[in-house]
Amino acid sequence: MSSNDPLKLIEQYLERVRVYLPLDSEDTIIELQTHLIEEAERIGGGTMTAGSAMMAIERMGDPKRVANEYAGSGRKVGPVPAEYVTPVSRIVVVLVAVGLAVTVGAYMIGITITEIFGTSITNWPLALPITISVNLVIAFIIIGAILALDRDKPPTEKTLLEGIFGVGVEGLKPKSKWDAAGDLIMGILWGIVLMLPAIVVLYTEDFAAIYMSIVVFLFLGAFRGALFLVGGENNLNLMVEAFLSVLWIAIAGTMVASGVGFPLESIYINDGSGWSIEPILPFFIDNDIPFVPFDWIWAFFIFITVAVAVWRVFVSVMKISMHLRAGRGLWWQGSWGERRKLTKPFWKRVVGGSDDPEPAGDSRQDGYAGSDNSQ
Amino acid sequence: MTEVNHVSMSKKTQEELDRWSKEVKRGAVTLAILALLSKRRAYGYEAVKLLDEKMSFLALEQGTVYPLLRRLEKRELLKSEWDYEDPTKPKKYYAVTKEGLRALEAMMRDWSTLSREMRDVLTEVESN
Repeated sequence: MSSNDPLKLIEQYLERVRVYLPLDSEDTIIELQTHLIEEAERIGGGTMTAGSAMMAIERMGDPKRVANEYAGSGRKVGPVPAEYVTPVSRIVVVLVAVGLAVTVGAYMIGITITEIFGTSITNWPLALPITISVNLVIAFIIIGAILALDRDKPPTEKTLLEGIFGVGVEGLKPKSKWDAAGDLIMGILWGIVLMLPAIVVLYTEDFAAIYMSIVVFLFLGAFRGALFLVGGENNLNLMVEAFLSVLWIAIAGTMVASGVGFPLESIYINDGSGWSIEPILPFFIDNDIPFVPFDWIWAFFIFITVAVAVWRVFVSVMKISMHLRAGRGLWWQGSWGERRKLTKPFWKRVVGGSDDPEPAGDSRQDGYAGSDNSQ
Repeated sequence: MTEVNHVSMSKKTQEELDRWSKEVKRGAVTLAILALLSKRRAYGYEAVKLLDEKMSFLALEQGTVYPLLRRLEKRELLKSEWDYEDPTKPKKYYAVTKEGLRALEAMMRDWSTLSREMRDVLTEVESN
């Protein structure tokens, strides 16, 4: 599994460290990355090789310990080993968010949790502790098996347990520039499409009554995309994200409550001589198709979008509180979700550019405010 | 019996020495970092190597230096600036702030007094 590319080895190792660090630890990762590269170059006599990178990594040590030193979380937090506090809390956040998303999403389309799991729970409330105990035993067996599989993994290779504990890291990353541009362009595009008279005539009566609120929502979504495109992730943009997500939950709730189903009543049909507007339902009746899927498609769409909206509210609120704790205000030039590439830029590989810049080169203040509770 | 006592004393002495060393190092490390960075700014790896070269007694590892740099920055004794000239190796340069320089001067005064008085006391012990 391990690569022979020294930069790849360093990147893999830093991914392991990242699992145990708080979410806003990009500064730490970059510092460690530079340290490892320079140490590997020193060991290799000026050239970094896979061997020298491995030696530098081994000197830096166990990812859990390294992360613990940098995060400064102490040895133990309650019964949980300090190095597992971050990943455990992360997985709890993800589980709670998924649970909330499913619950709200299910509620929005009129399904209660008891219907999902079956309406009759025997021996209630005794069934609950029994179920929890059985699940705990299963969890311990699974974690034990994973730990056994994780033995003898090289320091660069993420263990299965770290993979599981790191769950949600991708979903918690800032919005990428491409996603922000997508929000902007698609928001405007769909907003305009939904308003076109040629499209409006296809709507059901119920949907025609509320479609302008969705158009406004789409334009606001485009505005959110523009904000993220310009400013990256910061508190103002996260607040807009949270507000719009709540707004969508409200719109979806209103639609569900007032019985607004699938938006289209008719579609355009080309019969060879030209386009005409034909109602959808008679097609199913005329062809003896007993199942009309559109309301199911609509319910699925509402469920997914509401689940995503709940997740976004949850993540935005968590990130805003994290940024506020770090002493940040409302607006700053935030980051985007693109992955840093450790590889040397293409032009440098072609022209063989130097890796040793002047120290006083292009620089900026980063405004870092890190944890101060270690030692 | 004497041999056993000697071995146990030696171990105890070693433990005391280790404990005392840790305490001395803990007190000296902030002064050492501020003193080195007051002469010129340095990024993390440079600082680690500089401390390793000039302060071998402290035996500081990167796992100690980086968190300490961040804590000193948080306490506004150091300030930092990122240099992205080489995108594969962005460097976070640390320099001493005005507040840090004032703290350094005060620490140096105390350290001078301490070392002078310690020297006097130890000289007396040696001469006995």
